Amino acid sequence: MNFWFAVIRQTGRNLRQTWSSQLMTLLTVSLSVLIFAFFSLIYSNMIGAGDRLSDELSLIVYLDDEPGPAMQEQLRRKIQNFDDVEAIRFISREDAYQRFADQLGEDSDVLTDMPKDFLPASIEIIPLKSLRGYNQIKLFSEYLDKLPGTEKVQYGQEWIERFYHFIRLLTIVVTLSGALLILTATFMVAYTIRLTILGRQDELELLKLVGATNNYIQTPFLIEGILQGLMGSVTGLLALFVLFQWISIRFTGPGILNLFQFDFFSPGILIFIIFASISLCSLGSYTSIRQFLKI
Amino acid sequence: METQENLVHQEFPGNTMIEMIKVSRSYPPDIQALSNISFSVETGEMFFLIGRSGAGKTTLLKLICNMEMPSNGLIEVAGYNINSLKGKDLALLRQRIGVAYQDFKLLNDRTVAENIAIAMEVSYKKPRAIRQRVVDLLDQLQLNSKHDLLTGELSRGEQQRVALARSVANSPRLILVDEPTGNLDATTTEKVMELLTRQNKAGATIVIATHDASIYENSNNRIMELRDGVIHSLTRGNAQ
Repeated sequence: MNFWFAVIRQTGRNLRQTWSSQLMTLLTVSLSVLIFAFFSLIYSNMIGAGDRLSDELSLIVYLDDEPGPAMQEQLRRKIQNFDDVEAIRFISREDAYQRFADQLGEDSDVLTDMPKDFLPASIEIIPLKSLRGYNQIKLFSEYLDKLPGTEKVQYGQEWIERFYHFIRLLTIVVTLSGALLILTATFMVAYTIRLTILGRQDELELLKLVGATNNYIQTPFLIEGILQGLMGSVTGLLALFVLFQWISIRFTGPGILNLFQFDFFSPGILIFIIFASISLCSLGSYTSIRQFLKI
Repeated sequence: METQENLVHQEFPGNTMIEMIKVSRSYPPDIQALSNISFSVETGEMFFLIGRSGAGKTTLLKLICNMEMPSNGLIEVAGYNINSLKGKDLALLRQRIGVAYQDFKLLNDRTVAENIAIAMEVSYKKPRAIRQRVVDLLDQLQLNSKHDLLTGELSRGEQQRVALARSVANSPRLILVDEPTGNLDATTTEKVMELLTRQNKAGATIVIATHDASIYENSNNRIMELRDGVIHSLTRGNAQ
């Protein structure tokens, strides 16, 4: 009989004898992983949606007067003084009128009596991808607001502001829930192992007296922790996948969810979650062993 | 230079199995269980430790197997200072010491066979060899029919024999036995002593703590009597 055969048999015995508390711990670990992964999935999808929205982001600077070519060049230089941008387009009053008429389509006849210069001239600026954080856009817009001849700067402030606040809130929720759930799972595993150790104190003492090595005694508990982490995370992620599939099917068709493209975790992230869960559960198990076995 | 671990892996060398020099053991607040105990036991010897209840016999056995630490003095087993051994070294040494405790230390939710096998499992003996050895020992101690019973269901006399079987199962080089015949009738006592004598003849050193005069008075083994934690006499049995 070799070390691993003996250890696996001992682990089997432990699991049989304490199956009810093991099951409760497994359930706690699975729920912790499910809740944390659920928020993380929403978070990562929101970040993805934010990236996609920022691809379409542009700032419109409305001007008092239509700038001449020299003024246009001066404004272009001043804008680029702040940072490089992807594109700067000057839109004359007549271009603005034409765009508006195009947007109105069949209803464009409402503009018949209006003068063709009733809309202000403007500059359409598409910032670089590196300048798409909420605070950076806000700073840029404040800078543009101070340019000579600027009447107003628009970039969908309210919508973007709300979206970024939502993302910030979600970040806090994910971080806090993650930290709390990690602590819960680790403590639960540590507590179960502790209960197992206390319930088998006589046997562990006897094992020491008949010459069992520390590894022989510790390893089964460590394997229990690893199994809790592995099975708990896999169960939690499977439950999340089922939930994700249900939502995807249930909400197929026109609806608010179709504004966003929802994706499940990549294999890399799934492996990371499983690995993290195994590490935390092993840590909980290890601390209990060190604390209560006193070997 | 050989490490202590390497030494523990070897067969116990030398002629002296146990060496105690000025060993004392006290318990709080001021109970002196043993005082200035010095003696040695040769390798392959059967040694009797006698005395009334509370004389210090069990404490002495616990010190020899490192279940307790002495307050003072030096204890060497097979040449190793047993109190300085730790971790794997201590575990390996313990695998070579079989102990039958007075309170048996059996796992009552395990079968007789599992209780005996535990001593062999920790030294990774093959399952087949373990099964065979367990059956042999149960046969020698007339416990064949109890193989699959939980030890919690046995009488005290039967539990005592199971504890003894576990202590010899791994063929240890040193066997410490605390009151091996306390709950047994004359016939079973004889069987137990036969088993211990067989182990002794096979080379094991045996220390038996007892106050059953019938098992030592007709032997020619050394007998050490303890009284109130001190050595009162060190004699030899009557058989010559």
